[in-house]
Amino acid sequence: MTTRAEFLHRIRTEMGRAPGLVPSATAPRPTRPRERLEVLRRELSERWRESLERFAVEFERVGGVLHRVGDAEEVPGVVARIAGERRARSVIAWPGATLGVDVTASLVERGLDALAMPEAEVTPAERARLRAVAAAADVGVTGVDLAVAETGTLIVVSGAGRSRSASLLPSCHVAVFDREALLESLEQVGVALEAWHDGDDPTWRGAAINFITGPSRTADIELTLTRGVHGPREVHAVFVERGLDVRRRV
Amino acid sequence: MSEPDLATPFRERAGQALDDRFLQEALTIATTKFITLRREAFDAFPQGEALRDQARAIKEATLQRLDHWLEMLIDNVERRGGHVHYATGADEARRIVLDIARRTGARMAVKSKSMATEEIHLNDALEAAGVTPVETDLGEYIIQLAHERPSHIIAPAIHKTKGQVAELFRRELNRDAAPDPEVLTQIARAELRQKFLQADLGITGANFGVAETGTVVLVTNEGNGRMVTSLPRVHVAVMGVEKVIPSMTDLAVFLAILARSATGQKLSVYTSLVNGPRRGGELEGPEEFHLVLLDNGRIRQIAGPLREALSCLRCGACLNVCPVYRQIGGHAYGYTYPGPIGILLTAMLNGPGSVKDLAHASSLCGACVDACPVRIDIPRMLIELRRELDEQRIAPWPERVVFGAFAWLLQRPALYRLSARLGRLLQRPLARNGRIRRLPLFFGSWTRTRDLPPIAARTFHERWAELEREARR
Ligand code: SF4
Repeated sequence: MTTRAEFLHRIRTEMGRAPGLVPSATAPRPTRPRERLEVLRRELSERWRESLERFAVEFERVGGVLHRVGDAEEVPGVVARIAGERRARSVIAWPGATLGVDVTASLVERGLDALAMPEAEVTPAERARLRAVAAAADVGVTGVDLAVAETGTLIVVSGAGRSRSASLLPSCHVAVFDREALLESLEQVGVALEAWHDGDDPTWRGAAINFITGPSRTADIELTLTRGVHGPREVHAVFVERGLDVRRRV
Repeated sequence: MSEPDLATPFRERAGQALDDRFLQEALTIATTKFITLRREAFDAFPQGEALRDQARAIKEATLQRLDHWLEMLIDNVERRGGHVHYATGADEARRIVLDIARRTGARMAVKSKSMATEEIHLNDALEAAGVTPVETDLGEYIIQLAHERPSHIIAPAIHKTKGQVAELFRRELNRDAAPDPEVLTQIARAELRQKFLQADLGITGANFGVAETGTVVLVTNEGNGRMVTSLPRVHVAVMGVEKVIPSMTDLAVFLAILARSATGQKLSVYTSLVNGPRRGGELEGPEEFHLVLLDNGRIRQIAGPLREALSCLRCGACLNVCPVYRQIGGHAYGYTYPGPIGILLTAMLNGPGSVKDLAHASSLCGACVDACPVRIDIPRMLIELRRELDEQRIAPWPERVVFGAFAWLLQRPALYRLSARLGRLLQRPLARNGRIRRLPLFFGSWTRTRDLPPIAARTFHERWAELEREARR
């Protein structure tokens, strides 16, 4: 069994033997990433309309469908319509606190089989049960931590009340966001990722950050583009103009 | 069949590929499409060129302090509750994964596409240990069912028709399906969905390991990477040591060029950043996270002739543009990694002796360097390899004799000039319309697939001498 010490020792030995190296540098990192992100957000808040328009173009280019509503209360209606058009019955969703709007109660009223995923730690047995529910669900509703205009990407951080399955197992994913999530470029995503990882992780945060750029796709059979191979076949994004009431932003 | 098909010599393997009409057509369509998509992506992305330079610099800078970044990665993975293992060779890497499987009582492992686990032939080892490995990338799944090997780094099943896939699903899965990619994909979705939910072990590679945060980054289009890292109770990531990058800022640079180079997408559909095992309050995520750091010949190259190849992102762009790959496809190379970079990686993993034929499976045209997102100078290293093969007397003896004689001659100008004149006489019966189409004796194998330009009527030497005389006058 190779130990850490042996492994690293071998690397150092070889490094010592490497001849004439070209001076090179890694990408310059922001020194105070949290402050940098704050400044960036303030700047972006003045031109969110441009960001949204660019996002709309790119998101549709990768096969997403964008919906726009004025108020958060309109979100359940959009979800119900999407479900209805697909004759879908079962919906799983992030709870109101993490989503920024409670959708399940209203969906149940409309006759759908909707379930909000829990926010607190549950037993392994309950986790297994909820996983089966998620796997059988037709629609999954989640929040969005960042929406990247340049690439049409939704970035979703996992955690308490932020189920990963909801954006993965159902064949239709509906993501809800507002202007605070909008970023312009991948470079800015780099700043956000630096800021999120600066200092200790908040306890509610999970272990996964997922970038989602359109529906799941493959071209593995004769290069024919096919949607929904493992992840969702459809990705919808609902933009809420007057904002969501998310308890904890990342 | 994860062992390389090396019973037949490379020349024959390549010959078979050239005779395979379907393969020829599939290769042309696939590589042409990838080339076009890549070119369009970079044409629409003016900052791409500068980012490529920056990415290259990041890789080089990381390599110059590799010990530092790896230690940071290890510390941060452990701080986040993950376990780190160290594998010197393929056998040790397999043993580590098998130990984890045994200890956790795993019966089935779902895998997302990973060249590193192909490289260590993990599937056979798992199977032998009673753990069923299931490839979940659609292309990999197809070739696993067919007991074949991947033919392209990012499109492993480009050598199969939809008809063949339908037939395969009928035989192996008992599912009757039309030869329609849409229908076939949905069958695979249903089959694999069950496996994701049943499997105990999720096995992945890693596109990047971010040192500052202890994050393993996986890039997929299908979503299998997300499944494999979220649903099974144990996740094992096998990562070559050269995949470490310092920070999230660096990651943003690589992500901007990786998918554009591979498939022409701005980003692949899913980029998953994994920070260790499930945290309190999360519904999904593994209870255990293991990172296996893999050497397998890489560390030796930090000071070796193949050092530059340690910057490879495995995007596949150099395969698509390579005139040799475009003709013979991935299988003819015979090892895990095909294409021009594959030759170098094979030499890295198995020693230069393993590529004594392959080292010549390149026209040194340099198309790969132009396409490579990190501008790896593959031809330079291939020449270096050929020299090494010659020095170590691994190259076949006729080659060594011919080149030895040539070198000897080049060092003797008078003799060289004389032999040029002699050659001009000797080639007379052979040259027709300014071409030599057939050489006699065993030299004939050289002209079997190409023409030899004859020695010029007036050599450069002679013309130069003439010019000098004129200038003096
Ligand atoms: S050598 Fe360059 S082009 Fe080829 S796979 Fe590696 S990164 Fe891509």
